[in-house]
Amino acid sequence: MLGPRIEGRNGVALVPPTLDAAKKNARAMLEPEVGRFWGPRFGDFSDEALEKRFKDNAEGQDGILWHIDYAGEVVGFTGIFDINWIDRDGESGIFIGRHDLFGKGIASEAIRLRTQYAWTELRLHRVHNWIGLGNRGSRRANEKAGYVQMGLYPRSWYRSGEWYDEWLGEAFPNTFPAKG
Amino acid sequence: MALGGTIRGKKTSLRMPVEADLEAHQRWAADMRLRHADGVWHEPAMPATWKERLSEAAKDKQQVLWSIESADALVGFARARLWSMGQGVGLDHLVIDPDRWRSGLGYDAAFALHRYFFDYLDVLRCATDVRADNVAALRIAERLGYAEYARGHDAHYRNGAYVDQVLLFMDKTTWQERWSGEREYEPLPAESFR
Repeated sequence: MLGPRIEGRNGVALVPPTLDAAKKNARAMLEPEVGRFWGPRFGDFSDEALEKRFKDNAEGQDGILWHIDYAGEVVGFTGIFDINWIDRDGESGIFIGRHDLFGKGIASEAIRLRTQYAWTELRLHRVHNWIGLGNRGSRRANEKAGYVQMGLYPRSWYRSGEWYDEWLGEAFPNTFPAKG
Repeated sequence: MALGGTIRGKKTSLRMPVEADLEAHQRWAADMRLRHADGVWHEPAMPATWKERLSEAAKDKQQVLWSIESADALVGFARARLWSMGQGVGLDHLVIDPDRWRSGLGYDAAFALHRYFFDYLDVLRCATDVRADNVAALRIAERLGYAEYARGHDAHYRNGAYVDQVLLFMDKTTWQERWSGEREYEPLPAESFR
């Protein structure tokens, strides 16, 4: 599913994805500046493959995908994937494709909007995710929206000559901050 | 790669799945004992749909499906996912027919399969997750050498209530420390290399 437009604070909005912006986001994944906690920086990124992926995402009923708009420009994407409608649980993810925009609170706002939507519109029971332990910015952004640590997966990825552990988080409606 | 070849245990053998196995998959997918113990590979469906699923499984480059036999009878199946770059394996399903539970088949098949992962595929780690009330699966995992690294709270819903999800992993070092004396093939004599 492609998510609806949700206006946020500080110039951030979640918007329905478009094919052109999806191609831009996908190719940003191939850049090392944004790939320390992403990967593996290879794959089929041809127009044909990206069009198929976009169509599959739009038609799929077990995930919801948004593009992240900042000051009128798409700068990344976020979503909830592999939703199990019986467990009412899904796995969340986020990608900001502009290194120069890191640290501006864009991910925090996008995650807040996404998480609120999970509880108030999708009626999910739980959302979980995996984040590189060293990706403190992403962890903090998720924690602000109510994610709490449920474990650590040791030596999950190999990057730049060293192993990174991975932080596993989960969120529930009652862990979402009362002030939203 | 996607339909697994033969792996022999003491009581069980994992072997390549064939169309004749699909009737059993249909039965297992519809069995509430299994559905409470673990998630299903696929929901019950028409025979033609199961054939399509087997065909899709055969084409999948990252996932491997085996049927499990014991004494020439089909008793279950296993499905694993190879991670990118071959560093690890995720064991998604290891299912034994509920009518044959508590006969040691699950442990025997799990042991043979993990020996294949570590001693044949040379993966660095295996991971799996089980429902917290699936005591038999937890016991098998612990005996093999798995350790819990995370617990998802209220992650699965069945039988009117949520149950936790226990996430487990085992690395190659643990496997070798525990099971290096249990190889599939006898060591070759020194003259074999001359």
